[in-house]
Amino acid sequence: MRTSLNEIRDIEAYLSGASSPEYRLLFEARMLLQPELQQKTREQQHIYHLVKAYSRNQLKNELDKVHEHLLTSPEHSSFRQRILRLFTKS
Amino acid sequence: MSEQSVLIDSRERFSLFIELYKKSFPAVARYISRKGGTYEEAKDLFQDALILYYEKRVSSSFAPVQNEQAYILGIARHLWFKRIENRNNTDSIENATSIPDEQEDVLSSGKILRLLETAGQKCMELLKAFYYDKTPLSAIAQQLGYSGTRSATVQKYKCIEKIRETVKEKSLVYEDFTE
Repeated sequence: MRTSLNEIRDIEAYLSGASSPEYRLLFEARMLLQPELQQKTREQQHIYHLVKAYSRNQLKNELDKVHEHLLTSPEHSSFRQRILRLFTKS
Repeated sequence: MSEQSVLIDSRERFSLFIELYKKSFPAVARYISRKGGTYEEAKDLFQDALILYYEKRVSSSFAPVQNEQAYILGIARHLWFKRIENRNNTDSIENATSIPDEQEDVLSSGKILRLLETAGQKCMELLKAFYYDKTPLSAIAQQLGYSGTRSATVQKYKCIEKIRETVKEKSLVYEDFTE
């Protein structure tokens, strides 16, 4: 694997928290010596946040489709009525 | 078939969510309606609860829940409390029209996400499958057509690199997003 990819793998091992205390210590020492590595680690952490946000959005889209299906298709009309009845002011 | 592998395919997920919806949405909707919430709020809250339940379900520490319906209702209640709490806090300072501080971050992240949905979709799907859906590498390799787990792993790292570069190219300041 390319050096840059190995570095990404190392950063992931550090960020995942699954690495040994020795590994973490060593990695933190490397970050002190290489500000660039520290920057890359921050960036990679950000990528993981983005992946989570992206995934939640995708899941939300899937759920919207489910919602749409249940509240519009004729086969689920009794379900639809049951829900809508809860929100009609009597 | 184990429960986890059922969740990999989006069609399988669709039927799982239909089931969960039918089983749990009425109870959540009734609860929200009693509390004076609207239909839209019930929908929103229920979906957030399902997202949290899904994340729990795919996590390695998940132990099957005996009563899914009660469990999801519990999450939804908790989310409703939190929402009311936030609302009361905002109301008390009478600034309902002003934008809260964190809004800015949300907006910029939103921009990046929209960008990635188009520019990096293939990679984002791979990363989603691995980190979010916790799909086993062997299944990812099979699904996306890689020769094996090793090449899927390499591809995963390449994708992280690619997304990192995409985000950078758009000259977005990282300091704005890191916590």
